[in-house]
Amino acid sequence: MAVVSPSESANKGRSDLIAYATLSLISIFCAVPFFWVLLASFDGNAQLFLHWPEQWTLANYVRVFSKEDGAKWLFNSLFVVGSATLLVMVLSGLGGYALSRTRAWWKLPFLYAILLIRVLPPTALVVPLYKFLLTLNNAEAAVLRPVFGSYARDIMRWTGFIDGYLGLILVLATMQLPLALWIMKTFFDGLPRDYEEAALMDGATLVQRIRRVLIPLALPGLAAAGLFAFMSAWGDFLLPLIFLSSPELQTLPLGLFRAFLRINEIDYGLLTALAFIYLLPAVVAFGFARRFLVQTLSGGVKG
Amino acid sequence: MARNSHEKRAERQWLLILLPSLVLLLAFVIYPAIYSVYLSFTNEALTGAAALRPRFVGFRNYTRLFNDAKFWNALFVTFVFVIGSAVIGQFVLGLISAMALRRPIRFRRLFSSIILLPNAAPEVVAGFMWISMLAGGENATLSRIVSFFGVTPADWLQVFPLSMIIIVNTWRGIATAMILLTAGLSTIPAEIYEAARMDGATPSQMFRRITLPLMMPTILLYMLISAVSTIAVFGLVYALTRGGPGGATEVVSIYIYNQSFTAFQLGYGAAVAVVALVISLILGIAYVRAMKVEV
Repeated sequence: MAVVSPSESANKGRSDLIAYATLSLISIFCAVPFFWVLLASFDGNAQLFLHWPEQWTLANYVRVFSKEDGAKWLFNSLFVVGSATLLVMVLSGLGGYALSRTRAWWKLPFLYAILLIRVLPPTALVVPLYKFLLTLNNAEAAVLRPVFGSYARDIMRWTGFIDGYLGLILVLATMQLPLALWIMKTFFDGLPRDYEEAALMDGATLVQRIRRVLIPLALPGLAAAGLFAFMSAWGDFLLPLIFLSSPELQTLPLGLFRAFLRINEIDYGLLTALAFIYLLPAVVAFGFARRFLVQTLSGGVKG
Repeated sequence: MARNSHEKRAERQWLLILLPSLVLLLAFVIYPAIYSVYLSFTNEALTGAAALRPRFVGFRNYTRLFNDAKFWNALFVTFVFVIGSAVIGQFVLGLISAMALRRPIRFRRLFSSIILLPNAAPEVVAGFMWISMLAGGENATLSRIVSFFGVTPADWLQVFPLSMIIIVNTWRGIATAMILLTAGLSTIPAEIYEAARMDGATPSQMFRRITLPLMMPTILLYMLISAVSTIAVFGLVYALTRGGPGGATEVVSIYIYNQSFTAFQLGYGAAVAVVALVISLILGIAYVRAMKVEV
């Protein structure tokens, strides 16, 4: 233990002070934009700029759910993003397990390939995706129409590829798959094989082993993969913008964006209340994912 | 022999389990990427005669790209956007945050939570928040703040559009930089700093001679990851400026969108998309190689 000299401790105090000062400045920079959404959503006279509400009110939130389509947008978003997240969890759970346990030649090329897939900008894929989904959609409609007649339209709303939920769910899930597969592969790598081998000894089939042994063990990993999938799919704006056009199918980011486009008559109270509702699940998910976030990103650094 | 065939069957089983993921990735990422290359050689359009009967036009879209001032503008704007927000803004603020959070000071968790917050904001919400900060001339939140310091208020998004989207994207990405660089910093053994301090090294010497060189692999990975993800940014810029005013913030992703869904020129938009795909792939391959070195 070195004895701390007075000058050294003064030096340390000064460095701490610098740390406090810089962190405070950066935190203010990070936090201030949030105040507008927070304050204006409870303001009876909300404006585009930040100001302290003179009359606090919940009226904006009431209006979001009563007069506007807020409840519908929220439900649509939860349904689409929730389905995509579930799909990602199932597929990455299975695929990650396979990637962790296999010793086949295709394992490493595949792992690097999905890293490269993650790199491709979605905007560059969206036009061919749109054309492809349109083709699938027309094919589906051609099959459904003669069979279901006038009901085909309602069925297409849920199972359509363009202006229907199925296409959006599948594409959203696919975009999240590479990261989720890596998370799950790394997670299963850290799980000892003893349990599976014991179950194998007992004569359990693969399906039994997966259901009784692996799923319970894999839950923390699945939670991480699901949280990341949920966070980026929840925030995504491009895909619903391109793939959905019917008003009744709109998700939160689109409803929010269109509400903001009503030039001259933007209702800032309503807009910020909607934005706050949209923000909340993202922040909560982020809070939960925090621990995994550090692991995942730093895991990426170490490979 | 029997064992060998059993193993082969087991390996096939793994491929079968991976198959659903593989099918989705092939259908919705690989196929569109290849289709994009095909489209870029046609005069495909969203409406009009070309929409009904698209023709193969060879390299015409690419020769047009070469002479298209708006395309070169988009490439330049993207370059400035990536350098400004990812390579400089997020990196510098992320590194400062990471180094400050290494000190055993109080409220560390609170500080890092606040710095993580912007990353949680969905693109559209982030866009609106910053419109509130920047738009409205004298009334804008930022104008009110800076007028305290004697700065003339302005319509920031109109006067400094590119700088503003750089600032907003910096704001959004400090967290990622901070987390990655924290991980990198944690791999440097404390003894090295102790030894340097014994030898009388100043903090700036230690930063230049120890921290930076030992952080180089992490910094390289960070630069590649952040460049790739900044090229993909769409919603944030779209919500803020939609590429305007006058193309000042028209990054490549906005240009692709405008060509394809505003001008309806899918073939030409695809040619721009192919350029974006190639640039991203080159950076991505560099990223995978840099990672391999570390494995």
